[in-house]
Amino acid sequence: MNIVGIAACTSGIAHTYIAKEKLMKAGQALNHTIHIETQGTIGTENELLAQDIAAADVVIIAADIKVGGRDRFEGKKIVDIPTHIAIKSPKALLNKIQAELGI
Amino acid sequence: MLKELELKRHAMTGISYMIPLVVASGLLIAIGNIAGGNPALISNYKSSYTLWEAAVTLGVYGMGLIPAVMSAAIAYSIADRPGIAPGLLMGMIANAMGAGFFGGMLGGYMSGWCVNFLKKNIKVPIWAQGLMPMMIIPLLSSIIVAFIMFFVIGRPIAVASFALTDMLINMQGGSKAVFGAVMGAMAAFDFGGPVNKVASLFADGLLINGVYGPEAIKICASMVPPFGVALSWLIRKSRYSKSEADNIKIAFPMGICMITEGVIPIAAVDPLRVVFSCSFGAAVGGSLIMLLDVASPVPSGGLFIVPAMQNPIGFLIALGVGSVITALLLVALKKDAVEKQNDGEDDEEEDVDLSGINIK
Repeated sequence: MNIVGIAACTSGIAHTYIAKEKLMKAGQALNHTIHIETQGTIGTENELLAQDIAAADVVIIAADIKVGGRDRFEGKKIVDIPTHIAIKSPKALLNKIQAELGI
Repeated sequence: MLKELELKRHAMTGISYMIPLVVASGLLIAIGNIAGGNPALISNYKSSYTLWEAAVTLGVYGMGLIPAVMSAAIAYSIADRPGIAPGLLMGMIANAMGAGFFGGMLGGYMSGWCVNFLKKNIKVPIWAQGLMPMMIIPLLSSIIVAFIMFFVIGRPIAVASFALTDMLINMQGGSKAVFGAVMGAMAAFDFGGPVNKVASLFADGLLINGVYGPEAIKICASMVPPFGVALSWLIRKSRYSKSEADNIKIAFPMGICMITEGVIPIAAVDPLRVVFSCSFGAAVGGSLIMLLDVASPVPSGGLFIVPAMQNPIGFLIALGVGSVITALLLVALKKDAVEKQNDGEDDEEEDVDLSGINIK
């Protein structure tokens, strides 16, 4: 699958980046193409590129707070989860999404 | 129904926007008070004032802004940009009425919902559509929610808020220790998860009301787990596997900055013992903080803001005792680690119920 996503947590200094790391690792391990943008307290980092979003099969938003720039994903399939799911079981999450999308 | 309201997500958004402001304001007050010997606030800008008076004054301005920022961020989280104007206004009302942080939160929810309701239900002719976001929604939502704040809920929240503050200030001996223990245990219980956030929200709310003890408990309880785990590893290395040891080496410096999350990988392997040891140590730390009258006007920053606290030595004692207790409990309760055969670095996953997840 081609995956893009956003990670954002309340304090914006720890869970945000752990969630990103976990999703990236799981995605790479399962041979997906994955790009995750972080919206921490420092601001947006690794901003998603338009072509990556266009190519994405699914958008994963792992956030405990409101994320910015949702309008970029109009017409895309979006999965909303709290960060702890991405942290605790990223591979199961990706497998479930893949099974549901049937890709 | 309740889940659809997403109360928690909006509150968390509010807090995430508020934290940097609280930290900056709290530190300005602390620095000004320490360096300038509790200077007076600037009351007249036409006469001269010192640098430290300016620092404290700015910090107090910042503290006064907190209910407004909290309220605006919650309203923004619910209703996007149109929520900000009524949200800021409701926070100012809450602050002025003494309904503080909790009043600001409520004002924020009401502003957001009101804006969404108006967006959905007001239909205007096409020529007037530009007026909707510019005039109609901000004005109407402000009027409606302001009426509720001023005349209905503002006063009761203010009264409740004062009563709570009063109660906490006048607590004595035993109840102080129990309160500290409960706060400490809650703040450490899930390493930055939902239970911790409840304790944290409570402490932040009291901070705005001028009660600084709970913040010190929160800071201590966030640092006891990483310090305790690191100490237990130093005492008995065999209790941890090699990959756990690597995690501890990261968790400790994170702990200095008051980030507890580094302990999560350790807790994931052996949740019961680790959570119990950490919560117990943090509860003892919390009690000591209350009994030693430690207080922190700054809500986060770890060891770096200890000098800004009231009774910093007391804080270090509470932190030290809590960490030692956590460490000893870990050494006593944990079994020696068994090295795993596969190198699979943090490959283990917890079983999480994924059935509620929908792809939209």
